[in-house]
Parts: sequence; C-alpha cells; structure tokens
Amino acid sequence: MTSIPMTAMRSDGKPALSGGYRGVLWTLWGLLFALGAIGIYQRFAYGHLPAGYGSYVPWGLWVAIYFHGVGIAGGAFVLGAGGFVLGLPGFARPDVLRTVIVLSVAAILPAFMGVWLDLGHMERAAYIFLRPSFTSMMAFNAWMYNAFMIIAVICWFLSLRARSAWLKPLLCLAILFSILFPSQSGAFFGVVEAKGFWHSALLPMLFLASAITAGAATLLAIQSLIGVDDGERQAAMRFLRTVTLAGLIVYFIFEFAEFSIALWNPNVHAPAIELILWGPYWWVFWVIHLLLGGAIPLALLITRRPGAWTVAALLVAVTFISARLNVLVPGQAVGEIQGLQEAFQHERLTYIYHATAMEYLVGLFLVAVGVAVFYLGERINIWATVRVARSS
Amino acid sequence: MSMDRREFVKAGALVGAGLAATAGLVIRDRMRRDTGDPVGPKTARSLPVLNNIPPRLNDDVLVRMQRDLVKAMAKPVEQRKWVMVIDQRKCVGCHACTIGCVAENKLPPGVVYRPVVTEESGEFPNVHLKFTPRPCMQCEKPPCVPVCPVQATWRRPDGITVVDYDKCIGCRYCLTACPYGARTSDFGEYYTDAAAVGADGKAVSGPHAPWEDQPNHEYAKSWSRKGHRSPMGNARKCHFCLHRLEVGQLPMCVTTCIGRATYFGDQNDPDGLVTELIARNNVHTLLPHKGTQPRVFYIT
Repeated sequence: MTSIPMTAMRSDGKPALSGGYRGVLWTLWGLLFALGAIGIYQRFAYGHLPAGYGSYVPWGLWVAIYFHGVGIAGGAFVLGAGGFVLGLPGFARPDVLRTVIVLSVAAILPAFMGVWLDLGHMERAAYIFLRPSFTSMMAFNAWMYNAFMIIAVICWFLSLRARSAWLKPLLCLAILFSILFPSQSGAFFGVVEAKGFWHSALLPMLFLASAITAGAATLLAIQSLIGVDDGERQAAMRFLRTVTLAGLIVYFIFEFAEFSIALWNPNVHAPAIELILWGPYWWVFWVIHLLLGGAIPLALLITRRPGAWTVAALLVAVTFISARLNVLVPGQAVGEIQGLQEAFQHERLTYIYHATAMEYLVGLFLVAVGVAVFYLGERINIWATVRVARSS
Repeated sequence: MSMDRREFVKAGALVGAGLAATAGLVIRDRMRRDTGDPVGPKTARSLPVLNNIPPRLNDDVLVRMQRDLVKAMAKPVEQRKWVMVIDQRKCVGCHACTIGCVAENKLPPGVVYRPVVTEESGEFPNVHLKFTPRPCMQCEKPPCVPVCPVQATWRRPDGITVVDYDKCIGCRYCLTACPYGARTSDFGEYYTDAAAVGADGKAVSGPHAPWEDQPNHEYAKSWSRKGHRSPMGNARKCHFCLHRLEVGQLPMCVTTCIGRATYFGDQNDPDGLVTELIARNNVHTLLPHKGTQPRVFYIT
C-alpha cells in the first residue's frame, strides 16, 4: 500500500498542525536558533574558555546531550524498525520506517555536533576513523554510530523500492547496532575503573533502558502530535505508551537497585550518590528526573487518555537528559585523592561543575539543529513518498 | 514475523558478520604490543656528564643520581625502568618541585604535572602535616592508555607514558580514566590574559604577553601554543622530563627539591640509589587497590 507519510497531514487531508500552531513553533525554533547561534559564536571565538568544565570534571552538558541524543536515536530505531520488520500495526508501512530513520538521524547528528564542539582539537575529529584504537569504548562507539547511520540511510533508500530483498536483513543489522550503541554508552563510563560511581555492570543496562524509554516517548510524541490517523495510529500509540511505561518502571527499578545497594549500610559513604540526592543540584534528581520524568509521566500514562500520553511522552523525552547528567557529573565530581583540588588552585582544577551560559546556548543550538534536521527530513520523506506513489 | 526464509538467512549472515568484525577489531587492538618506539643499541646514549669528577663515598644524592642516570642512558631504552621515589618524611611542602615543573615545561594556567597535596591531622598544638607530591605515576598498567580512541598515548619501553600532542584530539577521556588526576587539559588560558589595564592601556601588548608564546621542549621537540597549536587543546601530563633525561639531566622536580626528598633512577640497576630505596619496607604506592602498579614510590 502506498500512503501519505506519517507526519504529512491528517486523514481528513488537513495539515497535521494548524497555521497558528505552526507560527508559534517557527517562532520558538527561530528563538532557539538565534540564541544558540550566540553560543556557537562564543565557542568558535573564545574556544573552551567560556565553558565551565575543567580537568577534574572534564565533561559537562554537551556530553550529556550527546548521550541523550544517541539514546533517543537508538531507542526509537529499535522500536520503529523492529516494528517494521515484525509487521506491527502502525509500523509496517515504509513511510513510517522512513520517519523513524529521519528521527534517528535528527537525534544523532546534533549529538555528534555536541561532542565535536567538546573536542580540544575539532579539526582532528577524523582521526577517530583514520587511526582508531578499539580498546577505547569511545572509538568503538564512534564507529558503531557511524556504521548505524550509513546502514540507516541505505535502508531509507531501499524503502523507496516496491520490494527489496535486502531491506529487512539490513534493518536487522541496524537494529543490532542500535541496541549495542546505547548499551555501549553505559559501558563508555562503566569501564572507567577510576570512577567508583561509574564502574558498575548495571550502567550499560541502565543506559539501554533509558534509551528505549526516551526513544519510545519521542516516537509517541511524534505519532501523537503529527502522525497520520490511518486506523493503525492508535495501535502504534498504545504500543509505544506500553513500552514507555514499562521502560520507566524498569529504569527506576534499576536506579533503585543501584542506589539502595550503595546506601544500604547505614555507615556507608557513597559521595557520588549523596551528591545526586542532597548536593547543590538535588532538584535535578528530585524535581526534573523523579517528578517530571518519572512520577508525573507514570501517572499520565496509566490513564486511557491519549492527550495525557502526549504530555507524558514529551516530559520523558525532554527530562531524561537529567538521567544522563546524574550519571555523568557526579561520577566525575568525586576524586580519589583527597585534597587534590586544594593542592594547586585554579578554577579548572576543582570537582565543582556548573554549566555556563555558553554551554546552555550551544545546547539550545543543538536542539534547534535536531528539530531542523527532522523537519527537513520529513519534507524529503513527503517528497519521496509522493514520488514513489506517482511512479507505482 | 514478516520475513521470508531468504531474508532471515541474509539477516543472520549480516548480524553474524557484524558481530564477528566487531569482535575481531577488539581482539586485534587488545593484542597489539608494538608502540613504534625505537629500541635497541641505537637508543643508548653516551653522555659525558660528570666524566671528570671521580666518585666519592659521601657524594650528594643528586650527584649519585646523576651518575645512575648516565649509567642508565648508556643502555638501550628497553633495558631502562625509570622510577621515582619520594620521601614524605623529608618533604616540607615548599612546592619548589611544582613551580620548577611549571617553569621547565612552560605550563599555562590550569595545567599542573606535580601538585603537592597537603594533609593536616590533629589539633593544635599537636598538629601534623603530611605532604604528598603527585607526579604522573607512570603506571605499569596505565588506565589512561587503552581509553584513548586515537592511539595518541602509550607506554614507552622505558615505562614512561607519553602523549603525542600532534595526534591527541582533546576528548579528555584519559583525564577521567586516571585515578590519580594526573592528567590535565590545556584549555588555552594565558597568565597575562587578565593583565591589569591602566591609563596607558593593558600592561601587556596584544592579547597576552609574548613570552607566553615561547615554545616548551617536552618530548625533545619545540611546542609553541601560538595560534591554538598543540599542546593547547591537548591532554597533558608529567613525563619525568624525558627531554632532560636525553641530555643527562635529572627531572626538574628532582633538582629543585630543597630537601632532597625526591629520588629518580633506573630500577633495573641493582646498584642504583632508587633500587636501594624501594627495597625498604616503609615504601608504598598511591591507590594500590586500583591495580595500576605505579612506578612512583613513597617512603613514609
């Protein structure tokens, strides 16, 4: 069956979003882009000087955005492409698959850009492909993401054909990669023995769970807000709602396991976890992560109102970056050698990290890039689908 | 499942090939041993240092270490095993080693190779101060090396872990992997960036004082940070002053130590001073539970 793309317009033939909403969204995007451009200018004009990270906390907000982006990309692809391969209702159409691919690319490209801007020598980024060392989880990750992207783009082209014998086999390989790389994101930190909080076998599982949860939530939000009501959309939304719900429960069980074991002994000192729970950024855990990213979405998802699911999905998709930040920063903020930060005093030689205005502005730019890539990708999807329909 | 048998076989083959390729790459890089460093007789140095001064029984430890160094340099690089020994009972916390290192390597703000950690215990008047200079531990099993995604850091045949500034991409993964916090990143700061501005303008002309662009000579090369060139943007670390060793000089922190509390030499020399010192039973290493097997020993 040849049909209109997933996000082009509703079943009644009207655009997915009315003109008023579109105006508001364009204005918001313009604002994001303009503010983000200031951050990008600062990054290129002043290098890393306006950033808040240093040598004892070397990674900050951009790295968290990077891992959140690749998580959404992997999670959304596992579900969307898996649904296509398995022929699940709401996922079996090629145009839906193309939207999933565009979403994955739109999530992963700004993530790459974030980590590229984080490099001390951006001009040498290609070295990771030219002289990689696969003992490093970073090289491993970079290769895996790029292999995934290449296969995903090939799948996009193959999906335009009426029948391709290679589409589903290649999708299976890409699905494998999209399960592996969010897990590797956890392993990226887990293999660092120097950081007690990171060095946990649970971390890859935690990252995979958060990737699938955030990916399902993002797909649910897209289906809900701009999806085509073709009779199967409700089934797809119910499936994604169930996955998001299950993902949230699994994630918080894993997190509870991690924290409760570390804190069970009343005499124990778990500085990284204490920092998460009671440190200066306590509100990131209690308010953003637990309340806005956990309790409220859970309450909304167990209702039978699709409108509530949309709000829940948006909350999860946005606030799950706090899950990344709460692994990334506290893991670095606890040193092994007591007194090191007092030994040689400098603002970049402390275990305290506050993201700066430049980092936040660049973060906005990355979001704007992601939205733009998704929008342009969907325009291309519409054009391609119409072309396929005409030629068949 | 909406896949026919042929598609299923293809998918299995692709997934299998993908997994096999991944495993192959990991195994290949884990097995890799050759660092590309020159080894053999060509790396031996015949240094004329102290040739005309006969050894005496009560030679200063600096002179003895200098002789040990010359002796070690006469061997091929793979037969040397550099170690540092720090006597914490003698260290007075003067930070001369820290400053000597900053001057020798022209370290910019925020980059430090050898801070001295101060621990205070007890209550007045029974107060005890303990000082722990912390150079790079030059670990036998350095955790900073395998995490580098571009092979920009490795352990030399003489046990010193080095960074190739021209390869380093500045990802800072190695900084997180070092349990000793021995690597710092050069974020591009200058001491005179914040120079005072008076009635005649800034105290220095240009964005920073010209002397800050003078090259350092780490790894026996000339490195100027001018124009965001390496080592700016790179991970940086102590390298036991390799460039000084090559010309028969002890590391700067050893020569600047006012209390003769830092010793340096070749552990493979059975008659060397450091070999004598680390055979004692009051010697320990930092964070031994991390399994990194440091080559810096502390006498307490």
